[in-house]
Amino acid sequence: MKSFFESKGFRELLRIVLAVSIGLALGFIITLFVSEDPVGAYKSFLLGPLSRLNRIGDWLEESLTLILLGLVICIVFGASQWYIGVEGQMVLGAMAAGCVALYVPLPPFPRILLAFLAAMVVGALWGLIPALLKAYYNANELVTSLMMNSVALKVFEYILKTFIMTPKSRSISSEFIDKPFRLPTFIPDWPFLQTIRELWEKQTSVTIMVYIVIAAVIVVYYLLFKTPFGYELRTVGLNTKFAHYGGINVKRTIIMSILVSGIVAGLAGAHLTLAIHNKIISNMTSGLGFEGINIAILAGNNPLGVPIAGLLYGYLRAGSDVMERSSDVSRELVFVIQAMVLLLVTAERLLPTIQKRVAEFKESNDSNNGSKPDLNKVKEGDSHVA
Amino acid sequence: MKPIVEMKNIVKIYDNGVVANNGVNFTVNKGEIHALVGENGAGKSTLMKILYGIEQPTEGEIVIDGKSVSFKSSMDAIDHKIGMVHQNFMLVPSFTVAANVVLGNEPIKNGFIDKDQVLNVTKELSDQFGLFVQPDAIVDSVNVGQRQRVEILKTLYRKAEILILDEPTAVLTPQETQDLFKAIRTLVHQGKTVIFITHKLREVKEISDRVTVMRHGKMIGTVDTKDVTREQMANMMVGREVFLNISKPTMKRAEKRMEIQNISFISETGRPVLRDVSFNLYAGEILGIAGVEGNGQTELVEVLTGLKRSAGGQAVVKGKNVLDRTPREVRQKGVSHIPEDRLTNGVALKESIEENLIVDRYFSKPYKKGMMLDYRLIENKGKDLIRQFGILTPNGKLPVESLSGGNMQKVIVARELSSNPYVLIASQPTRGIDVGATEFIREELVRLRTEGCAVLLVSADLSEVMSLSDRIVTLYEGKITGVFPDAAKVSEDELGLFMLGIKHQTNEEMEKFL
Repeated sequence: MKSFFESKGFRELLRIVLAVSIGLALGFIITLFVSEDPVGAYKSFLLGPLSRLNRIGDWLEESLTLILLGLVICIVFGASQWYIGVEGQMVLGAMAAGCVALYVPLPPFPRILLAFLAAMVVGALWGLIPALLKAYYNANELVTSLMMNSVALKVFEYILKTFIMTPKSRSISSEFIDKPFRLPTFIPDWPFLQTIRELWEKQTSVTIMVYIVIAAVIVVYYLLFKTPFGYELRTVGLNTKFAHYGGINVKRTIIMSILVSGIVAGLAGAHLTLAIHNKIISNMTSGLGFEGINIAILAGNNPLGVPIAGLLYGYLRAGSDVMERSSDVSRELVFVIQAMVLLLVTAERLLPTIQKRVAEFKESNDSNNGSKPDLNKVKEGDSHVA
Repeated sequence: MKPIVEMKNIVKIYDNGVVANNGVNFTVNKGEIHALVGENGAGKSTLMKILYGIEQPTEGEIVIDGKSVSFKSSMDAIDHKIGMVHQNFMLVPSFTVAANVVLGNEPIKNGFIDKDQVLNVTKELSDQFGLFVQPDAIVDSVNVGQRQRVEILKTLYRKAEILILDEPTAVLTPQETQDLFKAIRTLVHQGKTVIFITHKLREVKEISDRVTVMRHGKMIGTVDTKDVTREQMANMMVGREVFLNISKPTMKRAEKRMEIQNISFISETGRPVLRDVSFNLYAGEILGIAGVEGNGQTELVEVLTGLKRSAGGQAVVKGKNVLDRTPREVRQKGVSHIPEDRLTNGVALKESIEENLIVDRYFSKPYKKGMMLDYRLIENKGKDLIRQFGILTPNGKLPVESLSGGNMQKVIVARELSSNPYVLIASQPTRGIDVGATEFIREELVRLRTEGCAVLLVSADLSEVMSLSDRIVTLYEGKITGVFPDAAKVSEDELGLFMLGIKHQTNEEMEKFL
């Protein structure tokens, strides 16, 4: 176990825990000022998500989506593509999955499978436009993907209102997906689990998506760190010119990175329709797509860190829901805490860099009789002595 | 005439121990055009960076207009009416010409930038000094010559009296060069002083009043331009150097491995950089390219290795033309490449040493096993190469950025040599690295050649080219000016004349040796 406590992963975990603790402590100080009953409010925030089974369910459901979104960002940021079109890919993926589940006349199992496939394909294809623009015209993917998000959201609303909504529906949504075509609960149908299974099924919608997400984490990790494609992707991300020089097809790698991320984004969309809402509903994603960036930052862009970051982040969100409902503190306070946690984590990442700079500065001062540190030194790459 | 700039006994030692200037004395008189010449790495740019306040000297004194000064930054230099036009322009491409001229010191009216005044000021300066620009054009849309004039106007707007031009003609066409010279003469007529860095001796003769020659960080001498010939200047620049001590078994030249025919290349700015370059590479031979930097060597290598697209020609390896193919295709024909710019092209700094060592082979067996990469094998192969090439590192999992410059270069050399190349193209293989690594890499190149590889060596270090090569080609302004079939029999003086375009061989003379 000694090696585990010295490992990089453990240090990362420690960092996150520390950052979260400090963030929470600062959040409490703010709560002291805004609340009549700060202790009660904070208690509902910290313990609320665990207080009832349906709340645990809410927490886990949202975390699953967040984990998938974090994975998406790990892939694209790994290739240094500042691609934030997840929202669009997810919402259209949700639409595709919903349409298949609602309208394609197939028995349950193939229908659900097809719904997933449709979501993943649509998610990937929607990324194709910014990907091609980036690869062939060097159009800034940040801008194009952001614009494509708006397009996707409008397309989604248009299809929903024009083709899917029925006169008798009371909200802007489709009808509910029939029960057999939703995802089943994650607890297997074994006799000795029968009571737990029924309880969870009644109160939560935590589905077999749990296993799909675990599989996705492992697949993305292996894809990024153990396959030739992952090697290409990371090399392009670290130094495009080196990748080109070494013979990697940079354009193809950029396109593929966005397509693959789109597959995962589509999965997240399918999760929204087939497990959480059980129908296609207006404003389905509500900006969730951007939370993936925060998760990936918390996880240090490592797929294996994403589940922890996702659960943690999901917990903060779930806690804020409970707090808002049961106290006089609004959920905006939680945004403040979230922001502080992220700041602390990113600032903590900067720390080693700052320490190194300071050390270099001192070193060069010693050898230079107090004159300024030499910037050229860094440029020539001779400053780092093995 | 009275001196306006006096730099006395300047010493500059970088932190990595490189001595860039070693006791340089440099004096410029008011109102003259003073050329500063020397080979790449001679210390010209460092000296000028010190004068412009970008670098601080380790020792020495600077006297401007009779007053001793000490510059902490270029702001101090600007205050003393010194302006510098860098080789790489420092302009905001999306701003107008006029906005760039006044940038950082804009005329203000009522708290806002006075747009009319910006245009007027630029127009006036432009007229006064005969530097034609379009004040309202976007910099991105104007040609290189005009961008350079914008840079000069920038310094004039800041009231510069002493202008430093760092290799201003390197990016210009001959026509633009003539325009620039005319402008420089106008400037001097109006009382400005111009320091002109170059290594083109023809231009020195044409434009300058006096010339200072530097070599290896030392000042060789300052003379009136009219008193020296180009040959004499070339001699001062190149000088005589001790041959490197490299034991080289006799050459066993074998079959032709790469046939380069009429390659040309045109830069983004429309300047022809390579013109009809042709030569062959043979197994068991090192062909050295000698030339002053900026005469097309960089582009030649980039075109041959697939990094840049040519403007015509052929490069045939194993019966197949590999010109204008992707780097992967070129590599798969057995062409390895040690790149000139090791930090941008040669490595991914944040990636591990192991992973840097497989960029040319990860997709093939045994590195790829099924759908996966075999990381255990990659680790072991990495260990082997680290040991074999003496790369100083605790292990191969560390990022390349943790290595010293010499060890980084060894990583590149280890990768490029271990692929068992059919042809090796090595560009500046030992530039800026420590003596130990330099010697090791040179020996490796010779070993590879003796084992039968065809090697193309491009280096700014003339003594390196001369002592490693079996055959030498000189390149001047993108053209081959001479070929020397026996590198051991040619003197540096002789090579220098060809490198600087003073002498040429005819095509007939060259043909049978290329």
